[in-house]
Amino acid sequence: MAEQLISGRLIDACQQGDRDAFRVLFETYKDRVYSIAVYSSGGDTTFADDVTQQIFLKLFTAIKQFRGDSEFTTWLYRLVVNACMDERRRRRRLVPFAEVLAMKHPSEKRPQEKQYGKTEVAEAVRAAIVQLKPKFRLPILLKYIEGLSYEEIARVMGCSKGTVASRLNRGHGQLAKRLSHLRAHVVGEE
Amino acid sequence: MFAKHVTNDISSYCHGELSAEEARLFNEHLMACVKCRTQFEQIKLGVKLAEQLPRIQAPEKLWQELEGKLQRIPSRRSSITNVYFHSWQIRAAAAAILIVTSGFGLWLVFNGQPSVNGTAFWQVQTLGGTPRIGSAGVRNKGQLAVGQWLETDADSRAQINVASIGQVEIDANTRVRLLQTQPTEHRLELARGKMSARIWAPPRLFFVDTPSAVAADLGCAYTLEVDDAGASLLRVTAGWVALELKDRESMVPSGAACQTRPGVGPGTPYFEDASPEFRQALTTIDFGGNPSDNAAIDALLKNTRPRDTLTLWHLLERVNIEERVKVYDKIATFVPPPEGVTQDGILKLDSVMLEKWRDELEPTWWSTNPVIPKKVAEAYWRAKNGIARRVSKLK
Repeated sequence: MAEQLISGRLIDACQQGDRDAFRVLFETYKDRVYSIAVYSSGGDTTFADDVTQQIFLKLFTAIKQFRGDSEFTTWLYRLVVNACMDERRRRRRLVPFAEVLAMKHPSEKRPQEKQYGKTEVAEAVRAAIVQLKPKFRLPILLKYIEGLSYEEIARVMGCSKGTVASRLNRGHGQLAKRLSHLRAHVVGEE
Repeated sequence: MFAKHVTNDISSYCHGELSAEEARLFNEHLMACVKCRTQFEQIKLGVKLAEQLPRIQAPEKLWQELEGKLQRIPSRRSSITNVYFHSWQIRAAAAAILIVTSGFGLWLVFNGQPSVNGTAFWQVQTLGGTPRIGSAGVRNKGQLAVGQWLETDADSRAQINVASIGQVEIDANTRVRLLQTQPTEHRLELARGKMSARIWAPPRLFFVDTPSAVAADLGCAYTLEVDDAGASLLRVTAGWVALELKDRESMVPSGAACQTRPGVGPGTPYFEDASPEFRQALTTIDFGGNPSDNAAIDALLKNTRPRDTLTLWHLLERVNIEERVKVYDKIATFVPPPEGVTQDGILKLDSVMLEKWRDELEPTWWSTNPVIPKKVAEAYWRAKNGIARRVSKLK
């Protein structure tokens, strides 16, 4: 379950145009939104900056449409997912995604040449995540960055719970395949 | 029994999304199905990797830039009235939200996912006397939460339910702590004393940390003792247990035992029905300061039976080249290396050849006590490539 971070009263205040309340909302969710944007863009922080701002601008102008008949987090993450996909589609016409990856990891050593510490493992996972197809990557981000349940992920992505389970399974499988050399660093750690 | 494989449910299981009954059926199937178990190991690795994914902090400049853009959007109010921030109580609540949020973010970064199966404690049943959880006595039943110590004195004993995957009996004068309980990993620390575990889960879900090694359950029953100096003794009564410390690993099957020492790690596994001379020589080799002690190895080889090749196979990696030749020759007198396995390869610790030879040796280890089907043991070896990797590191 995603944790309950904000109250209905804060949302009410945002809906009435209270910018201080909106600042609280921004501070509460900025890292989550930004993280999804970074991972969705292959590590492109300029992209992530732009998308995060777009999302919060949209949130600010559209929050009065939030009727409370769905969880606020579901509504927010649906905005995030759609914004990331739209922006990525738009930019793909300008810069091939693979080039962004290449720019971000120009001197990646071959796995067997590296000794991995905790930070390096996280970096390797980060690099592997951005190479997953969006349909496998998004459920992983919503699960591990946002801590959403399968039910919540299904609502955000507009698919069934079974589809979420299946995509997570395949995403996990692909991660394991790409990073099998890190098994000793993450499984049964001493 | 194999009509419905459970591979599609693996992530759901790891995330605690299955019902208790579904999880039980999942476990049962996994125990019996090599295909699903292999896939489980793979998906579990993916879960563990994804848990390393850090949340990224948004840059500070974002709010300033956003605020600038917000200024250009006409407010629905003629002026900002701050309805939300009129009272100090509500301001405090807002501050608390920010603190909790940033704290939770840090918690996620450093500790991974919060508990995903909703079970952050294990049930404890008193078997005698009054065991203590923290400072509180447990008269009948209690709950051992993550981070808490369970301690028994000379008159008390307890039984712990390890989530839904097994039970651990805690003997007198024992001190254990619950370190972690998640669908992908349950971990207990045994600081001193004795415990007996019976686990019916797939391999490598239950771990016990001791001062000198980690015991990884591979679907088994065993006892583990730790003395005041931190040395431990593992005795396996069913299945397999792996004892590990850094690059050193001992695979201990049913009927075998293995000692560990602080600063050394796991010794070499041996069958408990080995001769006293054999065991004495092995203790010298393992903990005498010189694993290639010529006299001790000669004494050991002199008292080796066919099933003691379990010990000899482990020793191949641990002794110097001169002694390795002798160990090789001794094993070969019982079970010659199979086709494709050469003396040169074994002496160079070729991991593939070592595994092939081990497969040939394994039936001799079960000659008097075939407790576990060979295919289950083989499935473990296939799923786990640690030995191969570690052997290659030792080259």
